[in-house]
Amino acid sequence: MTVATRLANAGDLASLRQKILAGRKSTKIAISVCAGTGCRAQGSMELFEEFQRELQEQNLTDVEVRATGCHGFCEQGPLVVIFPRKIFYRGVKVKDVPRIVEKTIRNNEVVDSLLFKDPATKKKCLLENEVPFYAKQQRIVFRNNGKIDPTQIDDYIAADGYAALAKVLTKMSAEQVIEQVSQAGLRGRGGGGFPTGRKWDICRAQPGDEKYVICNGDEGDPGAFMDRSIMEGDPNSVLEGMTIGAYAIGASRAYIYVRAEYPLAVTNLSIALEQSRSLGLLGENILGSDFSFDVEIVRGAGAFVCGEETALIASVQGDIGSPQQRPPYPAQAGLWGKPTNINNVETWANVPVIIDKGSKWFAGMGTEHSKGTKVFSLVGKVLNTGLVEVPMGTTLREIVYDIGGGIPKKRKFKAVQTGGPSGGCIPESLLDLPVDFEKLTEAGGMMGSGGLIVMDERTCMVDVAKYFLAFLVDESCGKCSPCREGVMQMHSILCRIVQGEGREGDIELLEQLAAYVKESSLCQLGGTAPNPVLSTLRHFRNEYEAHIKDKKCPAGVCTALVEFEVDEELCKGCGLCMRDCPTEAVIGEKKQPHKIDVELCIKCGVCYEDCPFDAVIAK
Amino acid sequence: MARMGVFICWCGANIAETVDCEAVASYAGALPGVTIARSYKYMCSDPGQRLITDAIQEHKLSGVVVASCSPRMHEPTFRMAAASVGLNPYMLEMANIREHCSWVHTNRREATEKAKDLVRILVEKVKRNQPLQEIEVPVTQRVMVIGAGIAGIQAALDVAAAGYEVALVERQPSIGGHMAMLDETFPTLDCSQCILTPRMVEIMQSKNITLHSYSEVEQVDGYVGNFKVKVRHKARSIDMSKCTGCGDCWKYCLARNKISEPSGPAAPEESPAEVAEKVDTLLEKYTDRAGMVIGLLQDVQNEFNYLPQDTLVYLSVKSKIPLSRLYAVARFYNGFSLEPRGKYIIRVCLGTACHLRGGGRIADAVVRELGIEHGETTADKLFTLERVNCLGTCALAPVITVNDKYHGKMTVGKMMKVLEECAREKPEQVGVEEAQIV
Repeated sequence: MTVATRLANAGDLASLRQKILAGRKSTKIAISVCAGTGCRAQGSMELFEEFQRELQEQNLTDVEVRATGCHGFCEQGPLVVIFPRKIFYRGVKVKDVPRIVEKTIRNNEVVDSLLFKDPATKKKCLLENEVPFYAKQQRIVFRNNGKIDPTQIDDYIAADGYAALAKVLTKMSAEQVIEQVSQAGLRGRGGGGFPTGRKWDICRAQPGDEKYVICNGDEGDPGAFMDRSIMEGDPNSVLEGMTIGAYAIGASRAYIYVRAEYPLAVTNLSIALEQSRSLGLLGENILGSDFSFDVEIVRGAGAFVCGEETALIASVQGDIGSPQQRPPYPAQAGLWGKPTNINNVETWANVPVIIDKGSKWFAGMGTEHSKGTKVFSLVGKVLNTGLVEVPMGTTLREIVYDIGGGIPKKRKFKAVQTGGPSGGCIPESLLDLPVDFEKLTEAGGMMGSGGLIVMDERTCMVDVAKYFLAFLVDESCGKCSPCREGVMQMHSILCRIVQGEGREGDIELLEQLAAYVKESSLCQLGGTAPNPVLSTLRHFRNEYEAHIKDKKCPAGVCTALVEFEVDEELCKGCGLCMRDCPTEAVIGEKKQPHKIDVELCIKCGVCYEDCPFDAVIAK
Repeated sequence: MARMGVFICWCGANIAETVDCEAVASYAGALPGVTIARSYKYMCSDPGQRLITDAIQEHKLSGVVVASCSPRMHEPTFRMAAASVGLNPYMLEMANIREHCSWVHTNRREATEKAKDLVRILVEKVKRNQPLQEIEVPVTQRVMVIGAGIAGIQAALDVAAAGYEVALVERQPSIGGHMAMLDETFPTLDCSQCILTPRMVEIMQSKNITLHSYSEVEQVDGYVGNFKVKVRHKARSIDMSKCTGCGDCWKYCLARNKISEPSGPAAPEESPAEVAEKVDTLLEKYTDRAGMVIGLLQDVQNEFNYLPQDTLVYLSVKSKIPLSRLYAVARFYNGFSLEPRGKYIIRVCLGTACHLRGGGRIADAVVRELGIEHGETTADKLFTLERVNCLGTCALAPVITVNDKYHGKMTVGKMMKVLEECAREKPEQVGVEEAQIV
């Protein structure tokens, strides 16, 4: 693309879209290969190249192969969807390529073995939307993921991309934009849930010409990766959202802060920036208006606390990411001391659709106070892991069972953890909870950035609490004492509990410390740090008591408190555990029940995890 | 044969509410060598003291144990009472069953048992006590304070203000201690330098204080009131009239070594000129860009595999960014390494999803197999093990990366295979494209 194709006005954009669409027949066969990080890890790029090679060899030049963003169902990757029929193939390997080309592309037949089989009904699903994982979803933020090539801005424009921006620049005043977003009821998707429209309004009302917009792509919550998916799979939707936001606020410069762990997101965003600049969708006088705006990428360097907005600002300025006292809020004095508006990736990606389809349409989805959809990353001990976008108010049961397919190996559901290290665990009794900002907080969880981590009967809640506190001890910036010292003390108490050295009164001590840390920490990292302990204590106090009083770990996780044994009736003698045991503590003949030598066993738990028949039991 | 008296005080409800004082008294009465054991509401009151003095006279007691509050409260009271009827005051001791027992426990049964233990211990101690006589010795009216942190500084100032001579000894070249390293103090977040620096100046200005900085205490002799302390002043200058220029001090000088030969990583293989050229090229991208430190350091690390010290020094001079700032940033973020790293950087994800699906076991297996801990590099410089808090590929948990190539759904067995493959392969084949920034 060259500078010559710069779009002079909204009309140019519309005709470019027409031109792109005219070049594409709706009946044209297209193979979309998922090139999200999840599928890439399973070899989708090799698959993509193989498709290209095979098609060229067979001289099928009118078939298009597209490397798209994440389709969401990473568990079953690499994923391939054949358009226009939308035939859904899963777990595709390089050796399957000739078969797909021969059968599906040439003869319009289906390769049966690559279809998804619903484990519940044992029925094979032909099309993407027949797969239960997708059937209950409503994809708004993910509208383009899996359909367009994120490195081709043409694809985005063809899918009505930048139409919202054109509408804003030609027909709407800044106030009208803010009003639309406010009426839509959009709330910050980063976790806080602050009304986006109001946030913009506050920043707009600040005096001064120099204002900044920041996109928070520092998705630090372990277990959440939807922002990554959006940045990798549909970077232009984020840029468009930010441009609209900047127009409303009166900013002319913006930064996207991307986590260090997301190199592909940086690559795809960089490509999108370059392409939209050369089309004049970024830069001076966008689409011929007098609005000028540009975006720059800032790479993070690995610090969880940089997801906190004041720490993030410090990091963008090139300092260590330590949070500042608020007020002043970033809207008043943020980046370089100027009014700054920060929203996260998912929030920005929602903006163009709201402008495009109207606030009424958006507000029609969701619950009373939480509108629209939310993307969750459904992971942990659940059958179908991946990214799930559902309307607010969907119940946890629907997400975990209908979309997620329930718990693998017919084990029992125990809890679902939401909101990352700041959130909490929600037990089975609250599974019918409709998920929105308020309901999750009431239940002791938190929306957070949308990680839903499912836990089964083999998850120890004390260990989970310990895990999160270890994470927070590691990530505390160390500036204020309550967080630095308090969380560390709580962690050491949990350590002694899982070591079997818990004392009477430890639970009360944890509660007391939790209250102090919560009250007196400087930023929200410390303010929410005790949540994993408090919520597990609230719903799973009996597990703590079992560790302290009976010196037992009911889930069989805390190695100091368990001993592994083989159930001779269940053991088929397959030898899997014998192969993986690092100390050769598993003994026995093939096809005969094995035994564990307690003397040699270091309780690493490999056999417990390995066993396909659940014959290794923890005592 | 000892003739002991034991007196248990209720302290109103302070002790009696938690400790069964009657039970303690009857327990004490049965201890060997105890002639009399009584409990009373307020032992420190006049009737209480009389109870003790009467018993000493009546039973010709050789020693007394009063079980009540802390000796810091009433030891003088009871010792004076004992002395008034002719018992050597040092034959009376106190068992602290209030601060050490009733006030800190809630379980009455257990507290009572502890009180009994405390009483029994003291009875045995007093049995072994010898009568002591008080003597008077002259005291040298000078004070030495060892350690000139904020506490030492304040102590020295207070003593000096009271009119005594003070010798203040500090091991470091400068006084101030840890407080000089802090930005703000807990819990009020006051500026710590604003508290510290005026006191540092006062130390120098006070006529009563002699400061011995860069000095260490070698030996302490004597006793309370007459200590003899040997302090070694470390050399910090050279007596030119005696120096022969032999160079030995140059060779052994710790301070010089600290500056020019850090204990950290060895210098890279490139010559200084090559390093300079590389850094100059990197810097070109960042001319006049605010907030460039992190990106710059990331580029330097990509170029050199880690952040070598001499490169940072050169970078600081060239970019005019203070070296302290470069180090602060490099140390704060997990993504930077100040040590050389191996050919293969293995990152084991310990995010929540990976943790639940056994990421910890994978990490343990690598630690076992390679014999290195997190953040360390194998001796053959082949592997570096790093722990990350989430790689954002939770659906494939547990996940590891080898030089940015992802491996999902790991098991301990698969992990071993990856390590074996790496040991065979050349590193170029493992890495994937590095992200470029525009």
